[in-house]
Amino acid sequence: MRNLFNFLIQYSVLILFLILELISIGLIVKNQEYQKSVFLSSSNSTVASMYEMSNSVVEFFKLKASNETLSDENTALKNEIIQLRNRLETIKPISKDSIRFRIPPEMEYKFISAKVINSSTNKLQNYITLNKGIRDGIKVDMGVVSDLGVVGIVKTVSDKFAVVIPILNDKIRINCKFTKSNYSGPLQWTGFNYQFASLNDIARHVKFALGDSLVTSGFTNTFPEGIPVGTIDNFNIKESDPYYSIRVKLAVDFRTLSHVKVIDYKNYREQRYLEQVATEK
Amino acid sequence: MLTVIQNIILFIVLILAQVLVLNNIQFLGFINPYIYVLFIISLPVSLPRWLTLILAFAMGILIDVFSNTLGMHAAAAVLIAYARSFIIKLFTSIDEGNNPTPSFHTFGVGAYIKYIFVMVFLHHATLFYLEAFSFSHFWLILFKTLLSSTITILIILGLKSMSRR
Repeated sequence: MRNLFNFLIQYSVLILFLILELISIGLIVKNQEYQKSVFLSSSNSTVASMYEMSNSVVEFFKLKASNETLSDENTALKNEIIQLRNRLETIKPISKDSIRFRIPPEMEYKFISAKVINSSTNKLQNYITLNKGIRDGIKVDMGVVSDLGVVGIVKTVSDKFAVVIPILNDKIRINCKFTKSNYSGPLQWTGFNYQFASLNDIARHVKFALGDSLVTSGFTNTFPEGIPVGTIDNFNIKESDPYYSIRVKLAVDFRTLSHVKVIDYKNYREQRYLEQVATEK
Repeated sequence: MLTVIQNIILFIVLILAQVLVLNNIQFLGFINPYIYVLFIISLPVSLPRWLTLILAFAMGILIDVFSNTLGMHAAAAVLIAYARSFIIKLFTSIDEGNNPTPSFHTFGVGAYIKYIFVMVFLHHATLFYLEAFSFSHFWLILFKTLLSSTITILIILGLKSMSRR
């Protein structure tokens, strides 16, 4: 018994070291498995409210740039209203008794605007925290876009905050397609530069050129079709490879991201349910 | 008593500086200095080792909570806190009973720079490999580690050479 105590005293520092390392590694592994646990991540309300405070200062310096994008978007929207109104006027008299309008079900979505209060671009797995949560109608798996293009997908939500996995995370793939040829493939981040991602699944026979733009394909329930993702910056193909490796310049600048929109797709549950039933049978 | 208060202030200031300022500085898009290791580096030499470990763990966990990387900073900080006494013994010859705070003055310029270099590099390498959690990006991460630790070391040396003591 005395020997045991002597042993414990002699190696107490080493034992403490091992215990602390085990706790840390345990936390990391648990986190990787269950993604971000809401507790102790930045959804945690004290931490998040502190970030909100620091952000309210930083945001002031970004006001000019975000005002510009906002006003650009406003004008674009106004133009669209005028166009649509005109079209409606031309259709009206005929439609009265013959045609009933119905929005195609995959287009029935609305936006929830939110503000970025914490984000990173320098890690291999980056995350973004938003200042809206369950009480604003945000749910897990909703798509997130900014005025410029696709940002990411909502991963966890608490009552007031939400954590988004952006394209800048090697755990996420976003299905996108060429605007010209409609050929689609998964886009993944390379883990190095926040401006570029790579597209590796495009077969040899597909024709495209530098500067061609990529948009979301609409094959998943999270993003509607046609939201910009990026443009082709560079590509190469080896003699032996069946696929191109393409470098894509992302449309969104994640370093200056401040206002985003979360896509609330109305028929999500219905579509999901139907697809699940179909695969089960 | 004075050193205790000094270290408490250093602890708080470094956490705030790291979380509110330095986590937002991403030089060239991926170089991110982690100067909070300065706290572990400049604890008094003959502080009980269990206390060093616990302080490092507390520091790491706090940084983790703020940067959404639960456990990673804690693991890296505890590792260098454990390795610290060996590294000090390797580079310097400090008598038993003396209790200096590591600095250019007490260690000598060469030994101090070597000490800082090994501590920072060890910390950053552990952190970045834990973050990737695989060796599939081995060279990329080594490159990242080298660049980030260079910046951190430069900042720490700059801060240290400003305080004349």
